[in-house]
Amino acid sequence: MAAEAVLYPTNSTVETVIRVSDLAKAYDGRPVLRGVGFEVKAGERVALTGPSGSGKTTLLNCLGGVDRADSGSIQLAGEPLESLSGDALARLRRTRIGTIFQFFHLLPTLSAAENIEFPLQLLGMPRSERLARVDSLLRRLNLEHRADARPGQLSGGEMQRVAIARALSHRPAVLLADEPTGNLDSANGGNILRLLRELTDETRTAMVLVTHSEEAAAICHRRIHLRDGSIVDPE
Amino acid sequence: MTERPSILWLLLRRMSLRHWRDAPWQSGLLVVILALGVAVYFSIRLANRAVLASFSNFTDILTEQSDWVIRSPAGTLPASILPELRQGLGDRPVHLVPVVETTATEPPASADETIGQRRTYQLLGLDLIALQNLRVNRTANRSSRSPEASVSWFNQTPSTQTERTNRFWEFFDSPRSVFISTALADEKRLKPGDSLSLVINESIVPFEIAGIIPSLPDRPAPPRSMLVMDQSMLQSLNGRPDRIDRVECVLEPGGDLDLRRSELKIRLDGMSGGRWQIESPKQRRDSGAMMTRAFRLNLTILSLIALVVGLYLIFQALDGAVIRRRDEIGILRALGVEERTIQQAWLLEAAALGLLGGLLGSVPGWLGAQAAVQLVGRTVNALYRATSADAAALEPTELLLAVILAMVAGILAGWAPARSAARTPPAQLLVRGGGPNPGPRALRSRPLALALMAFGMATALLPPLRFDGGIRFPVGGYASALCWIFAGGIFSGELLSVLGRMLRPIGPWSPVWRLAVSQIRPPTGRHRLAAASLSCAVAMTAGMAILVGSFSQTMNGWIERAFQADLYISSAGAQSASTDNRISTAVWRELVARADVAAANVMQAHEIQLPGGPTMVVGADIGFTRDHANLAWLKAPPPEAFDRSKNADMAFVSESFTERYQLNAGDRVTIPTPAGSRTLKIVGVFGDYGNERGSVVLEGSRVAGWFGTDLASSVILKLKPDTDADLVRTEILSAHPGLSVFTNSHLRREILRIFGQTFSITYVLEFIGVVVAVVGLAMTLASLLLQRRAELTTLRALGMTHFEIAHASAIEGALTALAGLVSGLAVSGALGWILIHVINKQTFGWTLQADVPVALLAGLGGLVVLSGTVVALAVGRWGAGLPADREE
Repeated sequence: MAAEAVLYPTNSTVETVIRVSDLAKAYDGRPVLRGVGFEVKAGERVALTGPSGSGKTTLLNCLGGVDRADSGSIQLAGEPLESLSGDALARLRRTRIGTIFQFFHLLPTLSAAENIEFPLQLLGMPRSERLARVDSLLRRLNLEHRADARPGQLSGGEMQRVAIARALSHRPAVLLADEPTGNLDSANGGNILRLLRELTDETRTAMVLVTHSEEAAAICHRRIHLRDGSIVDPE
Repeated sequence: MTERPSILWLLLRRMSLRHWRDAPWQSGLLVVILALGVAVYFSIRLANRAVLASFSNFTDILTEQSDWVIRSPAGTLPASILPELRQGLGDRPVHLVPVVETTATEPPASADETIGQRRTYQLLGLDLIALQNLRVNRTANRSSRSPEASVSWFNQTPSTQTERTNRFWEFFDSPRSVFISTALADEKRLKPGDSLSLVINESIVPFEIAGIIPSLPDRPAPPRSMLVMDQSMLQSLNGRPDRIDRVECVLEPGGDLDLRRSELKIRLDGMSGGRWQIESPKQRRDSGAMMTRAFRLNLTILSLIALVVGLYLIFQALDGAVIRRRDEIGILRALGVEERTIQQAWLLEAAALGLLGGLLGSVPGWLGAQAAVQLVGRTVNALYRATSADAAALEPTELLLAVILAMVAGILAGWAPARSAARTPPAQLLVRGGGPNPGPRALRSRPLALALMAFGMATALLPPLRFDGGIRFPVGGYASALCWIFAGGIFSGELLSVLGRMLRPIGPWSPVWRLAVSQIRPPTGRHRLAAASLSCAVAMTAGMAILVGSFSQTMNGWIERAFQADLYISSAGAQSASTDNRISTAVWRELVARADVAAANVMQAHEIQLPGGPTMVVGADIGFTRDHANLAWLKAPPPEAFDRSKNADMAFVSESFTERYQLNAGDRVTIPTPAGSRTLKIVGVFGDYGNERGSVVLEGSRVAGWFGTDLASSVILKLKPDTDADLVRTEILSAHPGLSVFTNSHLRREILRIFGQTFSITYVLEFIGVVVAVVGLAMTLASLLLQRRAELTTLRALGMTHFEIAHASAIEGALTALAGLVSGLAVSGALGWILIHVINKQTFGWTLQADVPVALLAGLGGLVVLSGTVVALAVGRWGAGLPADREE
């Protein structure tokens, strides 16, 4: 397991980390995505915008391999997702993808530090290395004093900072963020966006950010707009 | 206020029912668990009822219900009583129906058969002509139908009048003609003229089927085991000529029946002079009910295990539903629905679940009753009285009771969740997320657990409640057991918490373990409830195993000491505790006179009526008892008790007798005998695990004299050294195929087998309890995973594989099972003690030596943890495959 951490270095050498072609997906016969295609390069931040029900989260789930498209293809860090088994997808997620949710989705029974450490543990990283990385992330995000707190004891901003730390702890190639500021006040939201920009710049991590917020979209290099499951305004 | 019913209905229709429909598997499983609990209870109740119904007077079916029954307080009545009664009653319009009744069985299929496997028949000897006249008379009085419309005893085959007359006389010419029930005729394809062999005393008697027992209008059909023959023929067959078992008095219709009945009773009492006792048919039925009350009550309580375990599960399911639906409840509260209405809606939902479970459980319950009636019947046969019950009828009152019980269980289990749903402020309900629900405070209260244990210890010291007939109900014992079980439930949750803390250091070494252990650190209310239900099931099962293990150990010791002779002989018809089959004087004399016999004990047992209910008087060779049956003396008798010249008024009594009648060594007991009352001094008390009614043992020659009979109930032979017991047994059996002859080892095996069979139904009930608890664990984990669906999405997003998620769930389930198991085993120690020293002692009067069946308990533990892990793994795999939680 430790070898996997070496196989996937912090900064991807693959220039195009996401390549989506002609992606389609329907729920109960109702099309949610229709012929979606785009590319994202390493270090690039892309905002995925569109009205509710336009297919943003479904597209994000397909990118993360937690949902499968009906047709089309996704290549993530050079791996064609449609040909990977469930377990292979899981391994890809634990090594190459970080995810941030609107509602934080921290594991409620683990402390803040344990939540950040968890993906590293899944990678099989040695304990001392894990702890060092968790410490550095906690410091970087001003969360040292909240290391032992459980999610129920954290504020919304703190929870989202822990979620960011968890998503970036294993230095993924791609960060998928679903409305990361949607559940925060504007001050906290601003802080989170600044952090995301700084951290993705530092690590050259590609980010796909689903958002309704202009402020959030503004930190991205470009924007993909979805309407009724199709890209209508590609930049 | 007027809106409440309509709002309630709206909530049920638009919310609860839709939730049930949306989660059909979950709701279905919950109803099935309730149904299983109800089915077990219902089947035992129906089986108990069937056995009780079989205690009814068989003659009621033939004569319509008697008004009074005259019987001897000890042994039988002389036939001379009839003219005396007739004369004493003058011209009162009373029919006197003398009855001779005995048991008979089918002949043994092989010499090595097991006891109690053959059906026991009740053979009634009646004056058929008088009975026919009575029937014609009563039918004519009670209905406008022609008397000929009812089938008679003597005209069952179409024939001319002359042929009928001839058949009538043929019946009396044939000394072995017997009438059988339609049920038996159908089962064995028997018809008039066919033969049927039965064992009566030591003889195999070939009977000729004279016809089918005619049934009365509006009376139940004669049971399969009922056989009727002419009275004098039966008296001659059972070796008791001129003796009758009872006289039934049937008043002719007309006038104020109650007044005439009372007047008749006064008259009969006046004539008795203590020679007979008069009881109503109801009292007769009640005596059977009373005799088996403790046994039936214990069985009913055991049958409630599955429902009690189910209560925990319903509680946790509804509690989980409150959590799942907290948004909905919050919205309802925000919209202005009153607290009370929400609470009522939840209670109604719980009651509806109970109703559904109750109705669904009634079908398997009725089917289960058909099997249970065999198991209950066998035990009642072995310990109390012959029962003919072979099928259980569907009783509407029992069904209603079972459904009500299920609804009450639902409401009880739903009370706290309903309160929690109603009382949580809307703002709190609408907050998304939040920490895990720690469950009801009572389930986390260590002081409550300690108080329950202390209360349990105190109630265990209470004496039993005493009822008529010497019946004791160990109310303190049961209360104590319940306290310990609930205390164990609380401690199982605490144990789970401790396990979580203890295993925390493993977290850094394995993400799967970290995740699993974090779920129980601290445990949620549902974890606690799942562990508590397992603790409850394990405690009851293991406690019962300790009781059975101790019983087995004690029985082994008792058998080892008390059964030291070589051959044990009885009638092959002796298949139940109340058998009337004896060994004739000629045959037992032949047996004891054999050249290879060193010593013999010819025993007589007679049922007598004491004020506290029926008990047994046993006549035995006291010297033989001293030399060849080392009884387990709780109070050893003095040496003169074994000296025939000095022990004239001395008796030994069993431990059950001392418990039941509260008499002990040194006290005097007066027993009724056909020769009048006799007062005996109790000089010794022995342990006897063969019956719970108690027995009085004294010198056999005195019993024979008092009861006026030499017939033996059993004969025990000690053979001369170097005699081959098997060879002697073969010789005796070939000369008397109607006898049962057991060698020492065979009898020991049989006693242990019957003992095991007695407990077989309890094993079934306990097993069901454990199954319900394990299913409950699966349900708990499934609902926890559903509740954590967003968390599962996160875990998958973090890269956990399906197997890792399932693995974490399996560890969580195994730890919950382990906590339930450890707590259950600890409580089982207390339960075992209560069962042995309080409940068993107070109910049956048996002193047992405690013994812990370590291997059995280890097996139970392994089974619980293994099944808990397997179901948790299965649930985990299912949970890991749940579709992603879409929140767009």
